[in-house]
Amino acid sequence: MILVDILSDGFFAAIASIGFGAISDPPLKAFKFIAILAAIGHACRFCLMTYFSFDIASASFISALIIGFGSLWLGGKIYCPMTVIYIPALLPMIPGKFAYKMVFSQIMFIQNMDEPALRTKYMDMFFSNSMITFTVIFLLAIGATLPMFIFHTKAFSLTRHITKKD
Amino acid sequence: MKTNETIVSQTKFIAEYATHLMGCGVHTSRVVRNTKRIGESLDFDVQISVFQKSLILTMLDIETQKTYSEVNEIPVIPISFEQNSELSALSWEAVDNRLTFEETKKKYQKIVESPQMDTLFVLLLVGFANASFCRLFGGDWISMAIVFSATIAGFFVKLQMQKNKFNHYITFIISAFVASLFSATSLIVDITSEIALATSVLFLIPGVPLINGVIDIVEGHTLTGISRLTNAFLLIVCVAIGLSFTLFLVKDKLI
Repeated sequence: MILVDILSDGFFAAIASIGFGAISDPPLKAFKFIAILAAIGHACRFCLMTYFSFDIASASFISALIIGFGSLWLGGKIYCPMTVIYIPALLPMIPGKFAYKMVFSQIMFIQNMDEPALRTKYMDMFFSNSMITFTVIFLLAIGATLPMFIFHTKAFSLTRHITKKD
Repeated sequence: MKTNETIVSQTKFIAEYATHLMGCGVHTSRVVRNTKRIGESLDFDVQISVFQKSLILTMLDIETQKTYSEVNEIPVIPISFEQNSELSALSWEAVDNRLTFEETKKKYQKIVESPQMDTLFVLLLVGFANASFCRLFGGDWISMAIVFSATIAGFFVKLQMQKNKFNHYITFIISAFVASLFSATSLIVDITSEIALATSVLFLIPGVPLINGVIDIVEGHTLTGISRLTNAFLLIVCVAIGLSFTLFLVKDKLI
């Protein structure tokens, strides 16, 4: 059953990344790699959080790191810049549910200004959800960009068709 | 020795290349690198100052040691990863194969004018994407179907409004409202409606400028990074406003 859970998580993440990526018009040859990396990344985060009790921030960071290295490797094969592959692959990991709860609690906070107990509850909900949203987005971007800093010569010449011409 | 006309058209071309890259969602350090490379292929040494709405380029003709400058506005064009990757490849090709100016320019025009993906196809893909997003957050099959139709409705509204050149922010507010209102139908049948509501507007989140903004800040282009993040944040606020209209209408049923 565990395997089915992991595989279905990866599968739906792959579909999500293809669809959200399509909005930004990626090259057709990049689609399969985007889907593969999104599936691996999201399934990895799912495993870390469910079976190894990682928190969402560090699990996202590790998955983003995997996606970043994957895009460095696969980008060289199809002459695509890293960002073209990893940004769509990261999109399914953007914590939309927490962002939604942030807005929801903000509205409820304003609606319940006169009741101290409810006000405190929604204030707490707002802070914890916004903290998670911002931290996760920041760590996702950092994690995927880190390989670019480490291997900058390779990362900067991914779209070069010939390596040396003497 | 280049003639005056050649220099004018070459400097204009370099400036246009740089602003086009900036507009189609390339992070700043890549824009700077690629433009310098294109400049190198035309025997110019290019220095760039990047601002949020315009670029200032100073180009030194290596042969005559004269400098030329250009200030160009960054156009508002849709994000395109395809152009990002093709234009990067073009800059390498121009240097490695010593393309002539005419060849480079012809290839640039061909890349810029290549058609985007079919909108109907994108509409369907986005619908499926958001539905599987709903699944990832723990929604059931009925919620997924509702989110699918809500996303298509919202995205269709967005496309139509963009076609008619509505204000960007109003477009986002109304599309978020339409999508979330559509998904509020899930409240009628007793299912995971909170998840359906939350995921229905996620296709509007501007993920590309969010990630590009963080990359820019980390790489030291703080000015453009913060301006990208600010733009993305304003759009997220608009999505939240659109969503909150729906939440006001249905909030009694949600608690």
